[in-house]
Amino acid sequence: MNKLKKFGKKNIGFIFIIPWLIGFLVFKAYPFLSSLYYSFTDYNLFTGKSDGFTLQNYKDVFTIAVEKTALITTFKYAFMTVPMKLVFALFIAYILNFKLKGVNLFRTIYYVPSILGGSVAIAVLWKALFNDNGLIRSGFALLGIDAPHFMSDPKWALLMISILRVWQFGSAMVVFLAALKGVPTELYEAAAIDGASKTRQFFSITVPLITPVIFYNLVTQLVQAFQEFNGPYIITRGGPLGSTTLMSLLIYNNAFVSYDMGKASAQAWVLFVILMIFTMISFWSQKHWVYYGDEEN
Amino acid sequence: MKKKFLSAFLATAMLATSLTGCGEEKKETTEATTAATTEAAAGDTTAAPADDAAAYDECTITFDWWGGDSRHEATQAAVEAFEAKYPGINVEINFGAWSDWETAKATEYLSGNNPDVQQTNFDWIGKYDADGTTYLDLNTVSDVLDLTQYDEATLAKCVDSKGGQAGVPVSVTGRTFYWNEATFEAAGLSVPTNLDELMAAGPVFKDKLGDNYYPLVIGEYDRAILVAFYLQAQTGKPIIDENNQLTVTQDDLKKGLEFIKSLEDAHVIPTIPYLDGEGADSMDKSQRFINGEYAGIFEWDSSPAKYVSALGDNGDDLVVGNVFPELQSYSKVSLMFSISADTEHPRECAMLLNYLLNDPEGAAIMASERGIPESKAAYEVVNAAGKINPLSAQAHEEVMNSNPLYWNPLFDSSKLKGDTSTYTTVFEQFSYGMDAAGSSYDLDKAAADLYNGYMDALAQ
Repeated sequence: MNKLKKFGKKNIGFIFIIPWLIGFLVFKAYPFLSSLYYSFTDYNLFTGKSDGFTLQNYKDVFTIAVEKTALITTFKYAFMTVPMKLVFALFIAYILNFKLKGVNLFRTIYYVPSILGGSVAIAVLWKALFNDNGLIRSGFALLGIDAPHFMSDPKWALLMISILRVWQFGSAMVVFLAALKGVPTELYEAAAIDGASKTRQFFSITVPLITPVIFYNLVTQLVQAFQEFNGPYIITRGGPLGSTTLMSLLIYNNAFVSYDMGKASAQAWVLFVILMIFTMISFWSQKHWVYYGDEEN
Repeated sequence: MKKKFLSAFLATAMLATSLTGCGEEKKETTEATTAATTEAAAGDTTAAPADDAAAYDECTITFDWWGGDSRHEATQAAVEAFEAKYPGINVEINFGAWSDWETAKATEYLSGNNPDVQQTNFDWIGKYDADGTTYLDLNTVSDVLDLTQYDEATLAKCVDSKGGQAGVPVSVTGRTFYWNEATFEAAGLSVPTNLDELMAAGPVFKDKLGDNYYPLVIGEYDRAILVAFYLQAQTGKPIIDENNQLTVTQDDLKKGLEFIKSLEDAHVIPTIPYLDGEGADSMDKSQRFINGEYAGIFEWDSSPAKYVSALGDNGDDLVVGNVFPELQSYSKVSLMFSISADTEHPRECAMLLNYLLNDPEGAAIMASERGIPESKAAYEVVNAAGKINPLSAQAHEEVMNSNPLYWNPLFDSSKLKGDTSTYTTVFEQFSYGMDAAGSSYDLDKAAADLYNGYMDALAQ
């Protein structure tokens, strides 16, 4: 009994985390490692057939036209969406930081799109806005402008999907808003006395002081953008001509439509490595542009 | 110390219970239906209903299917009636929409957790029962499940690689045309009965009704089927035969693609970019179809109800057309019911199937929710009760009158059918005239890709 007590005393923390540990091992670690294994095979989910070790899946990502295009499209999407979303979220947060009448209502309204997410209702709304007879094209037509065919023009479809993500700027906006509130007002007062314009104050005071939050939003939004699935899946199903087929959609199609788990796993790992690299670059770059208040210099 | 252990135990138990709770919450469509009159008896006891000499075990069996609301309601009602007739057999049901249903089923098959009785697709035999161990050979329960109600040739289509009866065919289906008669009348035309009349209708629609009016609308998969019909009429053979061989050459496929192009050029069908521009999920959701701008569809004989419903007050405008003499149709088993090979209650499962498919009482409740019943007994009951959709019945007759050929499930292989698979990419790119990289995509490329797509699928 004493031994048991001793064991319990020594390992009480471990016992407490057992439920989490089991969940982690079964639902995270095992799928993570098994997907790495499958990525080096041509494992088919149903036939269960696999002809052993191969690097072909990884080669395919960079050589097969469909996969290469999906990879490029994912990059385009991320580099188009993230800056647009950050700028837009910061702009709205900046406005909502002023003492306006009914500002709390506006803050709530601007946050609503983030709650709606990539639902079917949003897909219907987006189609109603952007299809050939939709509100956007009809609006342009009233001005005598023949707007692009967003749903069927491969050059414009990706932008349409990007705008959906940008529209859901609420969470980034809230974080920016919190950061803006943390900027000491005396700095603005001092700058105003020195004759600095609002624009100068924004770029010389506001932006430098909220760089940690910009950095945080940049990393999280970049990760989300590379993993985007809902928008293209519910609105365009990857079309037209594969112009909105992002890597996540391709992975889904390979894994759960074609059951080509080996290929899907390799694509997922390539996406993971790309994300890791971008995150590492972001962290490395922060010493050049992110200002933390507790740092000297 | 005791308290710490107790706390740890309680924390673990709480977590485990909360996880169980989550699991239950997720089963939104799962509902355990209990027998109307259940005699409380423990263990495996044997009971026999007054009107049935067959003995059965009291047990719980699981049953799942996909479909729309009306199918769910009918099947639930039939299951409840079955439970009332056979007290002691409890049926746990699970149902949902088709969207992503197969993905969920695939996971079940992989984990070996498929339910006792299940609605299955014809091509699932090849996909999920390749070794003949997933579905029970229904011949082993034919003393309960009356297989004599089915056409032998149709039954023969539903066998697995070991010759076992993997499924019982619920209905057989094929494709034909449906026309919006009002739009044709507005163009001063009668509905087409052959290809020449259809081709002639295109320019008339354009001139008389406008650029946005088309006699027929077909998406990528419809185009693949139409090409198959067109080529089958020329070869007289199924496009993929019983031996899993493609019966057409790349040059033949080129002719089929030329045929599709000629339909687009003659303003008979809209291009894929035009269809994409509307972004409708399916044709019954298309405002252009609802407005009558698309005056024809090429659809399964079991599907007209949703199009009639989409047309609303103008539903009567939709009429069934014939399969053109220049085309050679095929028919296929649209749906089956199967029993899991791992079930512990094969006899009771067979009783449920027999009730749903052949029993006059069950068949009357199920009606034509899964198409025109293939079971002779069910057809008689449902037909006599006037429960068969007349448009569907007429379309079925048209299909059967066209002497449909054999259909190989590989035609719907996941390598061919799907958002990023051959049919979608080839017909989309061919209609756009360019590929995903923006390079020109001509007839030769399309024919080569279609041919290679078939060969890949057949080599699978």
